Amino acid sequence: MSVTSPAERDELNHLLVRTGQQDEKAFSTLYRKTSGQLFGVCLRMISDRGQAEEILQEAYVTVWRRAASFDAARASALTWLVTVVRNKAIDRLRQHREMTGGDALDFDAIVDESPTPAAGAEASQEYQRLQECMGELEPRQRTSVREAFFTGATYNELAARAKVPLGTMKSWIRRSLLQLRACLNA
Amino acid sequence: MNSTFESDNENLRYGEYVLGLLDADARAGVAREIEANGEAAAAVALWQRHLMPLASDIRAVTPPAHVWARIQRTLLLGRPEPKREPKGWWDNAVVWRWLGMGATAVAFALAVIVVRPLTHRAVVSQPSGLMVSTIAVGNGAAGWTATMDLDRKQILVVPASPEPLASGRDTELWLIPAGGKPIAVGVFKHDQPTALKLSDALLSRLGPTATLAVSVEPTGGSPTGQPTGPVIGQGAIRGV
Repeated sequence: MSVTSPAERDELNHLLVRTGQQDEKAFSTLYRKTSGQLFGVCLRMISDRGQAEEILQEAYVTVWRRAASFDAARASALTWLVTVVRNKAIDRLRQHREMTGGDALDFDAIVDESPTPAAGAEASQEYQRLQECMGELEPRQRTSVREAFFTGATYNELAARAKVPLGTMKSWIRRSLLQLRACLNA
Repeated sequence: MNSTFESDNENLRYGEYVLGLLDADARAGVAREIEANGEAAAAVALWQRHLMPLASDIRAVTPPAHVWARIQRTLLLGRPEPKREPKGWWDNAVVWRWLGMGATAVAFALAVIVVRPLTHRAVVSQPSGLMVSTIAVGNGAAGWTATMDLDRKQILVVPASPEPLASGRDTELWLIPAGGKPIAVGVFKHDQPTALKLSDALLSRLGPTATLAVSVEPTGGSPTGQPTGPVIGQGAIRGV
């Protein structure tokens, strides 16, 4: 993520809190600093550019209206923002099921979108921790978790893309979640 | 942490929710739990904190400038003073478009035009008179027009060019006070004029700082009292 240093994180938290107090200037700065990251998330989930723009727009409208409910003790601003935009995108995907017919998932061909060295150097502790824990997953299971997160696919869609039975996909994901939870809470 | 099988399963379901694996109904189910149950909300928040850093791996893409312009327009931001004299709604092409749409609408419109002349402009503090809102949909076009008759305590929602709606879904109208949570106004037919009652609680919150919004909900309306589906239309409220 482009914004990860503790100072930058604090600044985003501050901007989001100010946005919750209906501070237009803070909202505008928050948009400038985070919309690229959030648009990237939209485009990854919804390939249609026009629709991705709509999702981004809806997300920031929601941010302005709901920012007062942001609790910095519970999540960072970026986590909160990514959650808002992903929820919008997933709702849209569920509404238009046909859009996510999806491409087949070739596990051998998938290249991890690994962070660039520069981003990695200043990545947050949480991020590094998650990467370590993800690294402990069996590769196909790791790919499934990433694919689920990035594309917002349902179990059925994911199983179809990976060409495995639904039950297999469910057990891969659930096992991964259990493993991640244990690793991250350790 | 409780490690019984049931609570484990429940917790995994929250993880699945955060990853985005659940279908629409199961998602709505978890959304309801989050609203109603603090423990569920905390469990979901923990999964969010765990998993959202995955988004770090996605390359940032600068959105086009018109997205910000639309956000500002939707929220009525970046406008120092409303310069334009509020137009009478008889000047509004959208109104004339929907006037052609049904006898009920025409009758109601004529009634309010005749009964309510131009004198009701300062309607903010004293709830009386008429307010209107053009509810814009995704592409910026007017999806519905809402006319609020404060004396009759009702709101008339009339389709202009409404968004198509999947079967098994209803459109629900919300009033969003500035900085506040949405308040349900009611479920309405997305493609037919619908009159809804306005409670006193709603009446007291109508005004130019509030907005109307339309969300897509399961049949019969949001089960949670808050929007659960996507918001497909929004409009500012203005006095006539």
